[in-house]
Amino acid sequence: MTLPLTPVWFVALPLLLAFASPLWVRYRLLMPLLVGTPALLLLLAFVLLPEVRTGPLLETIVIAPPLGIHLQLDSASWILVALISLAGLLATAFIWLSDAEPYLRDRRAFVFLLLLIAGCNGMVLTGDLFNLYVFLEIAGVSAYALSALRRDASALEAGLKYLIIGSVAAVFFLFSVVLIYLQTGQLNMAAVAARFGGIPAPMQLLIGLLMLVGLGIKAELFPFNFWVPDVYQGSHPVLAGLFSGLLVKAFLFVLFHLVFLLLADPQVAGLWLMGLGATTMLIAEVVALRQEDMRRMLAYSSLGQIGLITLALGFGMQATTAGGLFHMVNHTLVKLLLFLTAAVLLRSFVSARLADLAGAGRARPLAAALFVLGALAVMGLPPLSGFASKLWILKGFAEAGVFWPVALILLAALIEAGYYFRWIKVLYDPNGDLKAAAPVERMAYVPMGVAAGLIILLGVAPFLVDDLFIEGAQTLLDRGAALSAVLGAGS
Amino acid sequence: MLAFLDDPKILHGIYVLGTLTLFFIGLYGLLAKRHLLKVLISIAVMELSVYLLFVGLATSPGETAPILSDGLTEFAGMADPVPQALTLTAIVIGLAVLALGVSLAVQYHRLTGKADIARMTELKEL
Amino acid sequence: MTAVPLRKRVRVKTLLLVLLCGWLFAVHLGLLLQYGLDGQSASMGDALLARNAETASANAVTSVVVSYRGFDTLGEVTVLFLAATGIGLFFGRRDRRDSEVPETAGSPPNEMMVTGVRLLFPVLILLGVYVVVHGHLSPGGGFQGGVIIATAFFLRLLADPDFRLSHTRVGLLESLSGSGFVIMGLLGLSLAGTATFLGNFLPHPVADMGRLLSAGVIPIIYCLVGVKVGAEVAAIFGDMLERGGEHEAAQVKDKPEAE
Repeated sequence: MTLPLTPVWFVALPLLLAFASPLWVRYRLLMPLLVGTPALLLLLAFVLLPEVRTGPLLETIVIAPPLGIHLQLDSASWILVALISLAGLLATAFIWLSDAEPYLRDRRAFVFLLLLIAGCNGMVLTGDLFNLYVFLEIAGVSAYALSALRRDASALEAGLKYLIIGSVAAVFFLFSVVLIYLQTGQLNMAAVAARFGGIPAPMQLLIGLLMLVGLGIKAELFPFNFWVPDVYQGSHPVLAGLFSGLLVKAFLFVLFHLVFLLLADPQVAGLWLMGLGATTMLIAEVVALRQEDMRRMLAYSSLGQIGLITLALGFGMQATTAGGLFHMVNHTLVKLLLFLTAAVLLRSFVSARLADLAGAGRARPLAAALFVLGALAVMGLPPLSGFASKLWILKGFAEAGVFWPVALILLAALIEAGYYFRWIKVLYDPNGDLKAAAPVERMAYVPMGVAAGLIILLGVAPFLVDDLFIEGAQTLLDRGAALSAVLGAGS
Repeated sequence: MLAFLDDPKILHGIYVLGTLTLFFIGLYGLLAKRHLLKVLISIAVMELSVYLLFVGLATSPGETAPILSDGLTEFAGMADPVPQALTLTAIVIGLAVLALGVSLAVQYHRLTGKADIARMTELKEL
Repeated sequence: MTAVPLRKRVRVKTLLLVLLCGWLFAVHLGLLLQYGLDGQSASMGDALLARNAETASANAVTSVVVSYRGFDTLGEVTVLFLAATGIGLFFGRRDRRDSEVPETAGSPPNEMMVTGVRLLFPVLILLGVYVVVHGHLSPGGGFQGGVIIATAFFLRLLADPDFRLSHTRVGLLESLSGSGFVIMGLLGLSLAGTATFLGNFLPHPVADMGRLLSAGVIPIIYCLVGVKVGAEVAAIFGDMLERGGEHEAAQVKDKPEAE
């Protein structure tokens, strides 16, 4: 009897620990396990890395792929899994170390947080369409419950809005999965991909549109993202950081994974998605200019960056895709850092509104300094990591000779500079006279410090990781290899 | 008298008609109604119509339930078991989400006295 | 509270919505009638059906639910668990209130009903257990039987003023059966004979098909699912009912809840 280290642990471990949660309450292990689980998963990801780099890791569940469910850990999904574990680790460490509000530290929050991680991991890893729907609902339901966790009117409103819009998205996605099964008789993504070309063209369009509506709502793309700022503002900032940092990233990855896998020629779909991404980016950045609440401003800024990532991934060239994946990682770190500073400021000064934070930089110098660092990284100033990834994306577009996205990205960076400097100016307002209302644990700065350190490290030395992202982009774009890995060389 | 239903095309056509009618009744309710519970019910109707489509179109007339009983000895001439299993899964998921939604809506109504989706304005800027 | 009519008279908007939905309906109908009616040939379901004898389960739907696509079922149970946890959260805080608020809000149910429900209770439980245990032989299984068991408890909760649902015990059952499901999966992964998550590691000779003790781990997992679904749905009912009653009681006493 052996216990092999396989990808299924990324789902099974959080599931097992969440189910057994009454036990941890009894033995007072809740907080150590909450932080320990993502840490263990991160460790597991690094243990599996050498194997993943030699070839995709396929794990069969009960029956071999075309018939059954399988999990697939390849260079692209490895990046997402490691990112999800890292973001989960930082956020849960902040909850533990900052002595956060009691409702974030009880058994129910433990269950929701672990299952959010399990759901995101499952979505990224699974190779089966219906299984994807199930994990989408696991991640979704945990997110609805998390955003309503505080149980006051604004949190309940955020939870309700999220639940309604999320269920609608799930219905549309399920509809498209059902149509795919009725047309092809397959649910395995690779097997569907091999037969997708045989579906009549109008039906393909219908399936694609239904899937775009479903995943577009979840991934917060332009016409479907009106609900996002409300949810981010109503939830605790740490949770908003998690939604922006790992949930949306997982959905974006799933969307592009499906586009690149199902469509033999993703050019047209990619162009559509680039258009959506560009619109998302510009509209969100412009609206962010006049936000008066820090959480809302960060929500719009997050939408802008998601638009940028969509733009880069939709182009479908190796350089921009690698840049897009790198920017995903950077944006997760940066937004997590910014939302954690927002949590510290909100806790210290009770309000997160612009008018109430004048001069907060002197009462909380470390938090304000980290906010400035994060803001500079979002804008993409050297030597921070945002610069490196934006440079990859811009270089990719320039090499391909397509210049309109370059102009749009630079314009968006200018707008970003505008509103972030507005906030920085207020934080260091010399006339402001603020006294902190509540103390903040010194240890709370540890996870924020780690995030800041990684941002600087990735910015100074992007060559440490560029192999990983280029391999990831190759795997994501190489449809033929993905099909033959699952279905055998013959197909 | 109902022999024409044995033609799979006709039977499936009826399923498609019914399913889509239900789906768009649900979509209309989702867009037009403003009471929280009505919105949740509309979503449930949309979900149910998708299940109906799945089970209805995956089974052809003349196929038996995929269970060995009543003298059947081999798995042949039976309905496709996968859509049935998946629909079971999807129904339970739909029920769970609906129950969570209703409990959120009830709690929200208790706290604020509001049940109108257009008046949910705690979270507006300024 | 002022009586604000929920539906404003925006006729144009309604008309536009009807037109939009009708147009989408026509488009979908046209597409599906044209391309969607041919029954699919050679689906993976048919392939699974042909191989189904290897699981030694007489009910092919059960072998798909529990074995071939058991991973989906694990996820489904998880979603139910999440919803039950969430509902417990929103209707929660019962320990403090139990002492303050009288349990029954309205008039107590009459004797006939209480006795009838007490008689019906064991019958319903038995039916539920039967449906769960025979999930691999006949229509039914963990979900259906679990819900029947939960209904029995719901009936007692509604009609029997002396009946209490012990939340600690329900929570314990919930977590034991859930962990049991994952552990069965991990056993399948770790034993050399199957070496896949949720593999059927117990002997399941085909000759036994149709007997109660057949199909290896399938009935065991389905029983765990039955216990879990029963406990969770009963907990959801209990949470909704208790807080509902408390709220009415609070309103009767003209003491709105301050949260």
